[in-house]
Amino acid sequence: MKRRIFFLLFMIPWALSAQNPKTLLNNAFKKFAKVQNYIADVHMDFDLPSVSMDAVTGQVFYKSPNKFRIKSKGIAFVPKQNPYFSLNELRDTNSYVAVLQGAEKIRNINCRIINVIPNNPTDMILGKFWIDAANNVILKSQITTASNGTIQLDNYFGTQKNFALPDKMVITVEMTKFKMPKALSAELNSKSSKTSSKKEKGTGKISMDFTNYKINTRLNEDVFK
Amino acid sequence: MRKLIYYELLKIATKPRSYIGFAVITAIVLLLETAMYIDGQTYIEFITQSLEESFDIEGKFLNGNLMCFIILQTLIIQMPLLVALVTGDTISGEAAQGTLRLLLTKPYTRAQILWAKITAGSIYLLLLLIWLGILALGLGLLIFGKGDLVVLKTEQVIILRENDILWRFMLSFVIAFISLQVVASLSLLLSCFTDNSIGPIIISMAIIILFTIIGTLDIPLFDHIKFFLFTTHMIVWRNLFDNPLDFNLIFTSVGILIGHIFVFNALAFYYFKRKDIQS
Repeated sequence: MKRRIFFLLFMIPWALSAQNPKTLLNNAFKKFAKVQNYIADVHMDFDLPSVSMDAVTGQVFYKSPNKFRIKSKGIAFVPKQNPYFSLNELRDTNSYVAVLQGAEKIRNINCRIINVIPNNPTDMILGKFWIDAANNVILKSQITTASNGTIQLDNYFGTQKNFALPDKMVITVEMTKFKMPKALSAELNSKSSKTSSKKEKGTGKISMDFTNYKINTRLNEDVFK
Repeated sequence: MRKLIYYELLKIATKPRSYIGFAVITAIVLLLETAMYIDGQTYIEFITQSLEESFDIEGKFLNGNLMCFIILQTLIIQMPLLVALVTGDTISGEAAQGTLRLLLTKPYTRAQILWAKITAGSIYLLLLLIWLGILALGLGLLIFGKGDLVVLKTEQVIILRENDILWRFMLSFVIAFISLQVVASLSLLLSCFTDNSIGPIIISMAIIILFTIIGTLDIPLFDHIKFFLFTTHMIVWRNLFDNPLDFNLIFTSVGILIGHIFVFNALAFYYFKRKDIQS
């Protein structure tokens, strides 16, 4: 009986701390914080409304805390935000309020859903994170930003799970559908769209596959210029 | 027959107006390339501003391939006029000068003479397009460098990778040749009907302008007519820069253009063979 009581007394605080949303977020951040910089090859696929573009390859460079650059071998549309910018918002646990919203299975992995509200919002107004508590990685995040609407990031972890670096990342962004006057496009015989002249919104997806990660290596600052 | 074509080419070469086309192409291309070299980035930023609201654009938009595309779509409106300037004069010009009757006394049939004029006109057209290709693509690549091609449509942006562009340009020059051959055939046909040197050139230009205006206007009544206008199909070269390609549309348009060439030339042969030449 004594052993049972002792076991319960020992387990309850541990179980509570594991449920604590800030602890979950902080564990995910700590894992990523091991990465000071990295270089990786990237293969990008685009699924953007009113944009037709074949896949492109390139290199991706990251330096903690917030330097990120993709250099492609051709024209590419890359997200305005550094995809890790929301993680950096979690650096200071006193700078936000975290609320455990529930649980959900993503790709058959049990995840905790945590809502994050920054105390002093910068660009991130609201964040929603799906955390794989067993591995301390963020499988999915949905960030509402002041500058670019809602951005969704889906991470697929593999070889670099220990550094919380995904093998594949799918970024879903809100974007305005492209429109140009006929006179500029010189499409003299094209039919004008019957839709209103208001800027139409759509969602676009950029899928990035990362390979050949070189983590915490020597990285020249010039690549970010 | 070769001799006849040679003489026809010689006639084209000796006319100062034959060089107007080359001069205009050179002026427009150099003007555009200079303007884009100096201020192209501002132009690109203006066009891409709606995209840059959502993304950072990585890579070089302004390059030789984009320059060639811009030049092609600018010149496709003017080129038919430059062609008509030469081919619209081939029969009527000689009739006006009084050399047509003399030409017909030579030991060649009327069909052979007309055929030689058509061939010479086509060679002129080919040279004009080669010159355009050298200036637009060659010089463009030399000044602006290589890169992916950004095709800007009214409601779509198509980005074609660098290794997927050259064959499209080559084919678009072939289609441009067929398109301009329609104009050459039309003006030659009109040239058979009159003894006035300027008339066929002006009428050809008027037809092209009228058809282009009908094609541009978004009026439902014109929707039924547009398909039958050769000017609608003359810009099908642009569809070679679609992704994926609509081969059905391209082949249909090319077929219609070739059909126009055939009809115009057949009418020209028919009329020229029976023409009562009095001067």
